Amino acid sequence: MIAIRSLRYRHLAIDALDIPPGLTSVIGPNGSGKTTLLRLCTGIELPESGSVLIGDRSPRDAEIGWVNEFPDRNILFETVMDEVASPLRFRRVSCTETGERVDRCLELCGIRHLQDRSIRELSGGEKIQVAVAAALVHTPSVLILDECDSHLDAARTAALGHLIQRSGTEYVIQCTQQMEVAAQSDQVLFLDEGVVRLSGPPQEVFSRLSGTPYYPLSWRCRA
Amino acid sequence: MRLLLKGVVASRGEGAGDWSVLADGIFSEGIHLVSGDVGSGKTTLAQVLAGLLVPASGTVARDGILSVMLSFQFPEYQVTGLTIREECESWGVDSGEVLSATRLTGKEAFSPLRLSRGELKRLHLACLLSHTYDLLILDEPFSSLDCSEKERVCRQLSERKTGITILFTHEQQTFPRVDYIWEIVNGRLVCRGRVPDALPLWQHAPELVRNLLAAGKCPKNIAPGDLVEAACRM
Repeated sequence: MIAIRSLRYRHLAIDALDIPPGLTSVIGPNGSGKTTLLRLCTGIELPESGSVLIGDRSPRDAEIGWVNEFPDRNILFETVMDEVASPLRFRRVSCTETGERVDRCLELCGIRHLQDRSIRELSGGEKIQVAVAAALVHTPSVLILDECDSHLDAARTAALGHLIQRSGTEYVIQCTQQMEVAAQSDQVLFLDEGVVRLSGPPQEVFSRLSGTPYYPLSWRCRA
Repeated sequence: MRLLLKGVVASRGEGAGDWSVLADGIFSEGIHLVSGDVGSGKTTLAQVLAGLLVPASGTVARDGILSVMLSFQFPEYQVTGLTIREECESWGVDSGEVLSATRLTGKEAFSPLRLSRGELKRLHLACLLSHTYDLLILDEPFSSLDCSEKERVCRQLSERKTGITILFTHEQQTFPRVDYIWEIVNGRLVCRGRVPDALPLWQHAPELVRNLLAAGKCPKNIAPGDLVEAACRM
């Protein structure tokens, strides 16, 4: 369980929140604190007070994969191959093992055709696919994705969903503005003005959002 | 007012990953939706249509178009002000009005790059849409906007009475009412025609639209209200 207790950071205030293993989608208006919550869960930011614990460890002691909402802010290296290999090289994994794991990861992520491309030449969606591969290559126990799907077409959004399932990552937390995607999650958190207003299974959360733009359009159409 | 494409080839790269999009056709007044897969060349084509890139071959001709604006996919590439107030002023708009409309009041002195991506997109679109253009090209305008804001921007676009509006997007849920649908398929820009006749031909149609068509309920258009109306038909 990811346990958040008495958390205060800028305008974010969460007294108690437990995030179970599985896929959690964080939804809410722009500026509601979604990205801030995700950054606290990665350990990129530290709480002003309170705590975030992944099991019994702080995020900075856990293996975390992270994809920023700004595609260019994920990129350090020139080629796709070097970018995806970088988390392993930073961990001093041997060249042979790095090569094998990068190879498997490119295949798993469906981006082998991009491996020798310069990242600067890629489209926004392709950059996100590379960033997801780099986040997964070191098999993190927590994968945190900040609105990756806003850069992806329908087929690649679905492929990302399948990839997350196949990766076996224990915790996946994603921000999304696509309610159809959030509706497929195990748990949904609805944030507004720095506060978690709703949390629980999608059916429960979205039933409280009926009549708002956050209610999935396909659910409106089946009503 | 028309934008005419004749044998336009928009291309990228000169190495192993190079590709091109072939585009022929005429964009007349109204709202045009262009869909395509990730990496299919939507952004490059948008930049060619806006005159920021020169096509590898062919011509892009503007007939009666005096003003052009392109909204970049990444709003961070279009920022010129060091503060949000300066950013608004650079667009020649009143910062108080824009910040109030975008719920960013109180952040005038912030760097635009301190905003979340959704907030930055909101600011960018509010500044951009406070002017009128003969040709308005929007590259992924809904990316990162929250659900309320997507609907608000769609309403604003639907209210454009004149000019040519071209939306490049892979959005799957929230659209304005559009007049024409185009898509990039196998390296070629294809016009599927006027909505709603174009809907059965639209390969990148959202799942909901496809399901409605399969049920024999062709929506009048693709705005959320049109889809709900079609779904509720007996």
